[in-house]
Amino acid sequence: MAGVSDRRDTAYATAILHEIADLLGQLAAEGRGGAIDLRAMPLGPEDRSRLEQVLAEGAVKASIDAGGPSEIFETVYPGVWWARHRNEAGDTVAEFIEVTDCPQFLRSQAEDIRDGCAGLRRLLDTSHPQ
Amino acid sequence: MDLLTFARGPGLFWAVTIFVIGVLWKLVGVVLLRAKPDLSVARKPSAWTGLRLILTRTWPRREFLQSTAYTEVLGYTFHIGFFVALAFYLPHILFFEDVFRGLIGVNFQGVFGVSWPYFSGGVIYFSGAVAFAALIALLIHRIASPVKRLISNFDDYFSWLVTIAPLATGMLAFSHVGAPYQTLIAVHLLSVELLLVWFPFGKLMHTFTVFLSRGTQGMQFERKGATL
Amino acid sequence: MPDSMIPQDARDVTLGEYLAARGVSRRAFLKFACSLASLMALPPSVGTAMAEAMAKARRPSVLWFPFQECTGCTESITRSHTPTIEAMIFDMISLDYHETLMAAAGHQSEAAREQAMKENAGKYLLLIDGSVATGLEGAYSCIGGQTNLSWLTEAAKGAAAIVAVGTCASYGGIPKANPNPTGARAVSDIIKDKPIVNIPGCPPIPVVLTGVLAHFLTFGTLPELDPLGRPKAFFGETIHDRCYRRPFYDQGRFAKTFDDEGARNGWCLYELGCKGPVTYNSCATVKWNGGTSFPIQSGHGCLGCSEPDFWDKGSFYRPLSVGQWGNAATLGGAAAVGVALGAAAAYAARRRQDKIAKGD
Repeated sequence: MAGVSDRRDTAYATAILHEIADLLGQLAAEGRGGAIDLRAMPLGPEDRSRLEQVLAEGAVKASIDAGGPSEIFETVYPGVWWARHRNEAGDTVAEFIEVTDCPQFLRSQAEDIRDGCAGLRRLLDTSHPQ
Repeated sequence: MDLLTFARGPGLFWAVTIFVIGVLWKLVGVVLLRAKPDLSVARKPSAWTGLRLILTRTWPRREFLQSTAYTEVLGYTFHIGFFVALAFYLPHILFFEDVFRGLIGVNFQGVFGVSWPYFSGGVIYFSGAVAFAALIALLIHRIASPVKRLISNFDDYFSWLVTIAPLATGMLAFSHVGAPYQTLIAVHLLSVELLLVWFPFGKLMHTFTVFLSRGTQGMQFERKGATL
Repeated sequence: MPDSMIPQDARDVTLGEYLAARGVSRRAFLKFACSLASLMALPPSVGTAMAEAMAKARRPSVLWFPFQECTGCTESITRSHTPTIEAMIFDMISLDYHETLMAAAGHQSEAAREQAMKENAGKYLLLIDGSVATGLEGAYSCIGGQTNLSWLTEAAKGAAAIVAVGTCASYGGIPKANPNPTGARAVSDIIKDKPIVNIPGCPPIPVVLTGVLAHFLTFGTLPELDPLGRPKAFFGETIHDRCYRRPFYDQGRFAKTFDDEGARNGWCLYELGCKGPVTYNSCATVKWNGGTSFPIQSGHGCLGCSEPDFWDKGSFYRPLSVGQWGNAATLGGAAAVGVALGAAAAYAARRRQDKIAKGD
């Protein structure tokens, strides 16, 4: 990761990037990643722009509408995803960096699948009564 | 009642009241003492010019400098640092202005035309730290010097303690170190209250009496025709 | 059959099922749980665990008793313009008794209360807002002919935990202010044998209550509390420590009146009496009305409303460093006493001099 600044005003960004590197190595070797809560530390504007500069958008970008809009994109580093969650009012309620092969928010949830299956079956039964 | 409410309430009230009672008691008690009448002839028509001794004694005579320079310099360092930290820090100034307004009935700015100047917290902290260091150095000297140690009494040590405590607790409160801020600020206020209560009854009264004693001695010398 | 806010069978579904029936997908719920975990400074993995645990939980029975209060806490909790975290979690609990919100009234509502207490004995959450009047054996505040005090002691027996909502329930609040004519006390002054969490604030920030409820639903316990019984996740820092105007405080830039240049520039409000340095709450980070603003941002100093006895700590507009030193009269009196003592001391000294001179 060439060119990561050691300046004091991007210290938090540097720390986060190191943690991501560790998690990514773990994911590659053992299949076990992790998540970092970006709201857990006081990121300054320099930190944020440093992170956005290093973790630029990659190949995948998803927008989700669940309890308000959310945006998840894979960064230029495969396995490193950036998730921004907003509520219906548009306020940011959470922001994570997930190191994983597929973020949990992108996956269809088991219960939702079951409910959807039941719903589809109901639809087919009513439109094509046996 | 929690500690901070006590320190800002009855603690402060009684400390200030005892301070005022005590200082006036001691000063009036001294000033009204009977002075031995000087039956000799006055060498000068007016002895009032002798008051200049107050100024001339602010620095030792050349002959004594070698033995007193250490404590003189450290003493001034402490006094100036303490004064700056006390008089030019905004939270302190707000208190003094409130007392001023309560006693005179008008704002400080209304009387003097300018508002009371203040420095930023960092400058004040540095000033307090310098005063703190000077006090430590002075105590070390007092204990290390055999003469000073021999003649030092409870008053000397306790007055030192009640003076350094507000400096130490003030720095701790400023840096939010060691306890929740409420506790730190309450302890700082209580240390000031202890200083106020002890003040009239020990050597801290030199704050006022130094001017009285230098002044009277100056006038006596002047009357005798002695060199000031 | 007694009227109740929630139909009987709806209480038997899990939270997950209840939400699904209301069109809230598991994905949305997962997002909400992770946001709440983030707000409570819990690690992201806990958010996922919270979602799973909460989804499986039965909707707990919650009884909300209003004692000597102004209903501001209810207003705060239920005020939400759009479906937000607070509204969602509030939907999840089975609010079996709430005088302002429930449809029933009079004897029917009391019957609903008694039924809920019996059916959920040992498991319901008791939410109290308002202080408990103890003067005249509690007669100053009664509901349905019974004192708040007796309601509290009776209901506490079957409660799993008690949540004191607002400063009045947590510490006595405004009714307890000097001279406290009704003998107002905090819930924790009355009940000593149940877990109690205090959520002070006048009113409290809504998401604090929902965070505590979420914690209870997930872990079955109350979150970690500070020495005053407040959840550390929300009351661990002072307003001053997270205030956006803190740089002005450090630089020494203060507003001197409410409309001077400093006030217009958004400078620190210390001189105007802000109690931020000694007040623990989340107003500076979470803010109010969905993160819109908080008192200091709107130009008024913090009142310290989440601290005990905030009403009796002197003027809201007196800076923290300006204590009660007395007034001109008391200092004048002290000066007179001092002068008298000094004169007496000098007189006694002169008398002794005379005696010595006479050779006695």
